[in-house]
Amino acid sequence: MMTRTSLALTCSAAALIVLAASSAGAQQDARLALIRDDATRDVVRAQLVSASSRGLPADPFMSKALEGVAKKATSKSIRAAMAALEKRLRIASSALAPTPSVDELAAGADALSVGVPEKSLKQLRTAAPGRSIAVELGVLTELVARGVPAKQASKLVLDLVARGASGVQLTALGRDVQGDVAAGLKPDVALDLRGRNVLSLLPPPPTVSNVNVRPR
Amino acid sequence: MIVDERDELIERAARSLAGLPPVNPVAVMHIMSAVRARRAQRPSLVAQFAGWMRVPSLSMASASMLAAATLVIGFVSGGAFNGAASSVARVTGARGAMPLVQVADVPAESRAVAVPMVFDAASAHTVSIVGDFNGWDPTTTPMQRFGADGPWTATVLAKPGRHLYALMVDGVLTVDPRAPKANDKDYGGDASVLMVTKP
Repeated sequence: MMTRTSLALTCSAAALIVLAASSAGAQQDARLALIRDDATRDVVRAQLVSASSRGLPADPFMSKALEGVAKKATSKSIRAAMAALEKRLRIASSALAPTPSVDELAAGADALSVGVPEKSLKQLRTAAPGRSIAVELGVLTELVARGVPAKQASKLVLDLVARGASGVQLTALGRDVQGDVAAGLKPDVALDLRGRNVLSLLPPPPTVSNVNVRPR
Repeated sequence: MIVDERDELIERAARSLAGLPPVNPVAVMHIMSAVRARRAQRPSLVAQFAGWMRVPSLSMASASMLAAATLVIGFVSGGAFNGAASSVARVTGARGAMPLVQVADVPAESRAVAVPMVFDAASAHTVSIVGDFNGWDPTTTPMQRFGADGPWTATVLAKPGRHLYALMVDGVLTVDPRAPKANDKDYGGDASVLMVTKP
């Protein structure tokens, strides 16, 4: 037979769990309340449920919806933007498996939106499996957005990551290329020049020949 | 006597403060702006509670099932909790460990970085920053004017990576003239780009 104390504790625990869940829901509702148009709010709520059922994080969707609200987009546009984002996030989630962070997923989705191929995301993940690659993806996105061919930008960023380039070096590269392009240089030429410059500062990559050499 | 001692202490403190170098008002503004940004991003008590419970995205249905399961386990075990003391100790332990767990869970490379922002708009009455780092909420990061007609300043907290943002000037969305622009394929128009490096 259950004692009164344990019954009270059990009930309290149950109540706390329900309270926690409703609080989390209330926080999301608080952000939904920023959307004043009822139709848009319904669209966003439905999209959040859909994303949750697919195991995708809610934050990028809320952000995309509120961006639409800030830009005075119609509910139709917001629905389309969120649907497109869901598609990109699903691809990014698969490419950046096994455990991408929310920041990486958002960065991966951004990269896909400017034309970075899914394969490049997978290669970057493989090159840096144990750490966040949100900055690397951001630099790659920015390079492609400035007009650098996606294949060329992906190859260089991959080389830089493999050679241990720091986040500061990568960000500076992106800024320099952007400055060069703004000054009239062709994007592919600018990346080639700036990329060579950064690569020259990094240690050479380990090769099979020098890794397997045995002392005689 | 005690009053005299306190007066003397206050006088000494005042003398020490008078000897300090003048504070740079821009630096103070940046610090206060960073504090405000941090405060705005701090989760509410209920959100912290949800985090403590480790069920941040629990739906009502799932919660009800969990609650029911908890009740069933309580009834079946018939007082297996062995009184209030042990249960309270468990709860206190979990709550006490929460901040450490949360800090350990966030690697340094993924922590938000304070980024000072400056915008020149002499005729503007209100300016705020909206972007993916603050959920595009115009109330989160208002900019403060420096002086009577000086530049607008604010500090945003953004995680390392590429961010899109805009300035809300008197209710109108504007790109930041100092930042690179990105074409917005979802909603059209341009947004400003902010690149944040790992700390």
